[in-house]
This record gives sequence, structure tokens and C-alpha cells, in this order.
Amino acid sequence: MAMDKSQLKKLDAYRWLVPRGTKAGMLTDALIYADERLLTQIVTDLSIEQAMNVAFLPGIVGRSLAMPDIHQGYGFPIGGVAATDWQKGVISPGGVGFDINCGVRLLASTLHKDEVTPKLKELVNQLFRDVPSGTGSEGTVECSFAELNDVLERGAAWTVERGYGEAADVEFCEESGCMAGADARQVSDRAKQRGRTQIGTLGSGNHFLEVQYVQKIYEPEIAEAFGLREEQVVVLIHCGSRGLGHQVCTDYLKLMNDAMRRYSIELPDRQLACVPIHKPEGEQYLAAMAAAANFAWANRQAITHFTRKAFEKIFGVGAALRAVYDVAHNIAKRERHKMNGGEKDVLVHRKGATRSFPAGSPFIPAAYKDAGQPVLIPGSMGTASYVLVGNERAMEETFGTVCHGAGRAMSRTAAKKGRDARVETQKLADQGIILRAETRDGILEEVPEAYKDIDAVVDVVHNAGLARKVARLRPMGVIKG
Amino acid sequence: MRVVKRPFEIIEHPADVGFIAYGGSFGEVLENAALAMMSLGCEREAIEERERREIRASGADNEALLFDWLAEILAVADAEGLAFRRAEVTQLGEGEARGVAYGEKFDKARHRAGTYIKAVTYHELRVEETGDGWRARVFLDV
Repeated sequence: MAMDKSQLKKLDAYRWLVPRGTKAGMLTDALIYADERLLTQIVTDLSIEQAMNVAFLPGIVGRSLAMPDIHQGYGFPIGGVAATDWQKGVISPGGVGFDINCGVRLLASTLHKDEVTPKLKELVNQLFRDVPSGTGSEGTVECSFAELNDVLERGAAWTVERGYGEAADVEFCEESGCMAGADARQVSDRAKQRGRTQIGTLGSGNHFLEVQYVQKIYEPEIAEAFGLREEQVVVLIHCGSRGLGHQVCTDYLKLMNDAMRRYSIELPDRQLACVPIHKPEGEQYLAAMAAAANFAWANRQAITHFTRKAFEKIFGVGAALRAVYDVAHNIAKRERHKMNGGEKDVLVHRKGATRSFPAGSPFIPAAYKDAGQPVLIPGSMGTASYVLVGNERAMEETFGTVCHGAGRAMSRTAAKKGRDARVETQKLADQGIILRAETRDGILEEVPEAYKDIDAVVDVVHNAGLARKVARLRPMGVIKG
Repeated sequence: MRVVKRPFEIIEHPADVGFIAYGGSFGEVLENAALAMMSLGCEREAIEERERREIRASGADNEALLFDWLAEILAVADAEGLAFRRAEVTQLGEGEARGVAYGEKFDKARHRAGTYIKAVTYHELRVEETGDGWRARVFLDV
């Protein structure tokens, strides 16, 4: 089932083209960003085949893109990017994923690593108590069914007004924590039932909350603009829209699978189900997706508040955690991009991919206008995470998009084989990393060896000129669902 | 009817997890697929059948029906914080299935959670009638 490397055309050290003629039905080329070593890992699963299938989407513009963290997903590869013509193209819920607006938020503390180390265990235990995680966890943010409609249409601002957070937090989110066009009426009651008690919960799987420190700064001026310095303690939160988002995707997959027949769309995988953007099903999904995205921002905002409170309990009020930025890496957005000498309105699907806009962009906070957008790339729990900054070249090549993480290199089943959760926890402890997790499976499925080399992935993005390295973060404490 | 040796087997996927469910009839495949999904989410042995929930599913073909059946069970469990032990099909018609799922409130102290399942996917979803019964392949997003 693996891909033969000889079917790929090497453009340079970091770019590999799959010409559109490779598979009958492809409407455009696929382009994979990887170095030779990562590519050797990538071709062992079906991810490139999936990037080729994405090239079948009606109205796709530019290429079907795959980032260096690409791995096999369902329908779209994880790490896939596709833009469709806003007028004539389609919208595909599978191109966003079940966890709508799964994303990452970075908080910077005023604390030095040496101040935190002696109290690290206490801090991690406090965070584990205060931020609900794992199966069946319920949040403490009270929200009635009627209020949930407000959450869906107002996002992070709703949570802040409820007293969970600071006004400035909202400004430092992609879309200011609220996507326009959200319509709570397009979200099913079942989705609302699932989401209502889950505001302020981390969830499970690869979601996490990590206490980290800034290990290395690559561009001091940009780091200063982001408020980051070496040895500073930061917090990285990775989670999404919980059961509400999963249900929205499920509902619309079902709807679109039926509707596709009416629109005579045929695709190689039903998980790619799509409809023209401006048909009723397309517009309803976009409004529901925006609502679910807002739910995710409200969720990360509540978790931000609980994280601050946990830090205050251990270090006092001086430990102020400032929001650096919050990115969405499972989302579809209407954007205007340069195409063939002109400009074009497109719908950019980012399935496990991060927006990466350069300096001067009107879509990033004023404070970062001269620097560019912070791009947050979480790694695995034993390795590192990165802060990058957007580069102009990504606007020309990838609709302003880069990777979203390390990307899996091993199946969850394989990761569990022959491993013991206590041994893995101890291995991290030997590196000074304290891990608290709800389940043994949660630890084993997420062992660092299950992921690609985050340094190699980020180097591809950096060397290809799509984004630049600003800071490397090392984990100190990890909370897993 | 063939003797079903095992109700399901778990299959690997680079990022996610899947299973193949077997059965002497399509209805039995629906029940065994539910069993496979439940066994991944939580150790079933400790779950008692204190609660029951009606499950209604619809779909234009067998794949769509299986998708909806599993998605409904998952949604009810997540919305109410329930852990299910099994589900039975009580009525199977053209494009429609009805049944009951049995379980109880998930309790961290007594239940061992496995992999948190986000959703059922359409990815390579197949339902087939083979020479000796039915089989279905399903991938889950975890």
C-alpha cells in the first residue's frame, strides 16, 4: 500500500511534486513539503495517496498541499491543505476534521525556570486537579442551553465576560476568538447536549496542557515582540471543540453524503464528502463550523483561566500568564490570496495545518504587525515545541499555511505494544518532565517515539522559507487526558 | 448460519483505530460493531446494565446506516456521560434501525477508560455480505 518514491518529482531539497496525471481524476498537482528522511517515513502510509484524492475536490485552486508532519488521516491527510474557489468550489467537512478548531494557545508567565522547578510537582498536580481532562470529564463553567447559543456566536468573548479571563486574551486569538458567520441554529440539539457541560475541559487523545520553558531563541527581535525570553516558563494548551465539534462534523458528513448524489459529485473516499459552498448544505455547514470554532475558543479561554488560577495558588498573583497567541489548526476559512497575478477569494481548508501570516498582515494583532503572526507548533510530550513566525513566501505557495505538529509516525496500537505506562512516565521523569495522565492508554499512545522528529519537521518549514524559527520550547510538566 | 467465532477484531491505522465486525446477519454486524467500539472506549467487564437508551438510526445504504447507528450510540454516551456495555437491534427495516444500548454512568473509580473516541468516520467504510455471513470495516477518529 505504500507509495513509491519514484512517482514523486523532486523540485528541491524540501519540495516533492505528484503530477496531476499520476491518478486519473486529479484536477491539480499535489505538493509535499518534506526532506528526504521524513519522506521515507511518509511514503510508508497512505497519506500521499490521500493528498492525491484531495486533488479531486471540485473547484480546487492551486495545489493539494501536504506539510512535513503529514500522516494518514481519513479522507484528507492530517497535515493537508486545500483551497477551493469561493464562487465555484466545494466545502468539505472532512477537510476540517471532527475536532473543529482544534488548536493551540500559548501563555507566557513572568517566572524563570529556576523558580518553577522546585514547585513543579505541586504545580502539575494543581493543574491536573483544576483543568478537567479525560473521558466523561465535565467542566465547572455553568452554561444553560439558551446561553450555549451565545457561546456559539461569540466565542472567547463570552467566556471572558463570564469572568474567566482578561479582555486582552481575546485580541490575541486568531479571528479574535470569534469567527464571523456563526449561526447556532445550524448546530443540532445533540451537538449542544454534548458540548454544554464540556466548556473548560481538555479532552483526551493527543490533547494536552504543558508547562514548558523557552530553551532557545532564534530571532531575538521577534521573540521580544512576542514577549518571549530564554528560560522563561510558558504554558501550551492543545485542545478543541470537544463533543460539540465532533457532532457537528458527524451531522454534516451524513447530510453531505446524501446531498453529494444530488450534486453529482463523485470522490474516491466518502470521508471527503463535500457540496458546493453556496448550496444550502454548504452554507449551513459553514455557519455550524464557525459556531463550533467559537465553542473551541470559548473552551481554550476557560482553560486559560483555570491555568492562571492554578499558577496563582502555587506562586501567588505575581505569576501573571499573558496570552501570546491562539491558533486554529482544523478549520476552513474564506481568505483572499494572490493567484496568477491577480487576487482570488478562496476557502482554505486546513486539516492539521496552521495559518502563518507575515508581517504587515491586517489579520494579526496590531502588537505583532511588524513581526508577523506567531505560529505555534506543539511537539510530542518528551521532545519540544516551537514558536515560528509567518513568512511572505507562505502567502505565495501555501495560502499562508504551515505544519501543525510533529505528526504521528506510528499507529496507536503499535505505540502500546511492549510498552509500560510506568516505565514511560519514569523515562520522562529522568529528563525532569513530570507527567500526569488520566489513563495508561493516554500515556502509551502518546510516547515521543510514536511521533516524527519535531526538529526535522520544523526545519523543513524553516528551510523552505514558509515560516521562521523564533523559539524552541522544552516541556517540564505534562497533563494528558 | 455460520458459527461466529469472534464478534470483531481491532485493526491498525497509522493515526487512528479501526475494527472489522462480523455477524450472521446485518443486524448482528450492527450489534458487534457497537461492541467493538464500546470495548475500545472502556473496559466492558466492569460496566453494569443499569440504564438503557433507545437508539434510532437511518441511512440510504448499509454503510450510511452503520455509520449513523454507531454515531448515535457514541453521541448518547458522550452527551450523558454514559459507558455502554452492549447494544441490541430490535427492529431493522429499509434504511432504518432501532435498538437499545445498555450501560451506566461512567465512573472513574470503577471503570477503566481506554481510548477516547471522537467520532465514527466514513473512511474506507465497508459493509459486505460474504460467503459465510456479514462483515463490516470501520475506522474511528480518536
